[in-house]
Amino acid sequence: MSVIYEKIYNVERDDYANAGLVSSLIKQSLRTIGISPAVSRRVAVAVYEAEINMIIHAYGGTITLQISDDGMIRLIAKDKGPGIPDIEKALTPGFSTASKKAMELGFGAGMGLPNIKRNADEFSIESSPAGTTLDLKFQERE
Amino acid sequence: MRRTSISYTLSHCVKCLKCVKACPVSAISLVDNRISINEDRCINCGQCIKACHSKGLVAQGSSLEKIKDYEYTVCLVPSAMWSVCKTIEEAERLYYAIKQLGFNEVIDLSPVEGQLKHETQRICENLENGNGIAYFCPAVKWLIETNYPMLLDNLVPLNYASEVKAKEIRRRENGDKIGIFLLCECEAKLALAKEPYKNLTYQVDHALAIIDVFPAIREHLKDGREKVRFCRSGLQASNPSVIVQKQEYLVADGFDKINEILSMEEFNLLDSFKMLYLFPCFNGCIGGHLLWGNSYLNRNNIDALTGEENVPTTDYPIEDLYKEVASSTSDSRSFKEKMEEFHKVNEILDHLPHYDCSACGMQTCRIMAEEIARGNKKLSDCRVLAASKGKVQ
Repeated sequence: MSVIYEKIYNVERDDYANAGLVSSLIKQSLRTIGISPAVSRRVAVAVYEAEINMIIHAYGGTITLQISDDGMIRLIAKDKGPGIPDIEKALTPGFSTASKKAMELGFGAGMGLPNIKRNADEFSIESSPAGTTLDLKFQERE
Repeated sequence: MRRTSISYTLSHCVKCLKCVKACPVSAISLVDNRISINEDRCINCGQCIKACHSKGLVAQGSSLEKIKDYEYTVCLVPSAMWSVCKTIEEAERLYYAIKQLGFNEVIDLSPVEGQLKHETQRICENLENGNGIAYFCPAVKWLIETNYPMLLDNLVPLNYASEVKAKEIRRRENGDKIGIFLLCECEAKLALAKEPYKNLTYQVDHALAIIDVFPAIREHLKDGREKVRFCRSGLQASNPSVIVQKQEYLVADGFDKINEILSMEEFNLLDSFKMLYLFPCFNGCIGGHLLWGNSYLNRNNIDALTGEENVPTTDYPIEDLYKEVASSTSDSRSFKEKMEEFHKVNEILDHLPHYDCSACGMQTCRIMAEEIARGNKKLSDCRVLAASKGKVQ
């Protein structure tokens, strides 16, 4: 298996005005390629949550879209900190540490990570004060 | 399979490319100095007609002459049509005048629309999770098929009111000999008939554009009136401001707004709603392009009409209301083929200016790149590249 397509997108901290822009671009790319609607929908939901998480909780970061020749779609969301103190808690539906501002804008319901995990075929998360990396995989039929 | 109801007149076209840019599904291009509409992609939304200032693009229905082809004719009238009437008396005059065009029967569709509205709500209320997308407008369904295939499963699988009624008429004795006509308030509905656009899967024989037949109707408006009463639920179904008032229903009108909502729905951001009611036209079907008058004024008329005796909704068996929704668009290419094409197009796209100026006749540089990849165009057809090359030399 080898990566045949890769694109890296930047996500800025507190950039609420552009919330969802990267997810929309990724969604559009999948439609242009012709990835099946069912897989595209799961990628779209997961990448949106990851992007929003990065905007409201992190100091910005990047989202990388990779596509491999075996039909594996991989999303790597890598932020610059401050890290998640208790990952297990963060994976509990409804648990939220979002700021008041984020909540007022309708974000931060505490469903972000649980939603991402539910939609990805493979899910891994690593976090330290230097940053959090989400590694998500989705399998498109060959 | 559907065919476009938009027709093009070369002699009126000033080649301003406004329609090319306005098309939400990239179905329009300028090829060999004339506008070309991709029939497989066109969703009959009419955005191009709105953008065209030179009458190069119009939507036309069948001619009234076609009535003579049948021994017995029926005219179906969608409820939005009555919104031009300020009083029940005006509605009765309109009803009478339509009949004078030569129809044996004129049937108001509001009772069917009312039943479909109730059934849509029942389906959505009973969904275990997620929500349903109601489409009284065919353009919404076609927009989702073309631009939002992820949402196909959310479409409420009900048929159009005109089809439900036409099927019932066909079941009558000699139903096959009856000519069924549909009076249309917009270009999308013009595509819901066998003629004039050869959409042969529909039960309706001919679609008539109200704007075309109005001069003939007008001649009879003063001649008389015939009693007609409407179904309140049905009349409300064509207007987003009165269709439903419930916290868990999301109602939206206007093409840009429904696109925003469909994008949000793809991210599962609207799960707190049970149902999405979407109207591409402002003020819903009463804002149809082919209806005269201001839709905000017409909106108030609907209230005046529903104040009178209320006709109950139809009571057709549920199975008669359903219509199968295609589960997925057919893309027979393998993953490998899709990626190879994507790469090829991206490589060509790297050479194009990314201005999306449409000067080449294609809507965007990406579509131009796709055409080059298919061998239909050459890099040298790009006007921007040609101009900068000339400069260097």
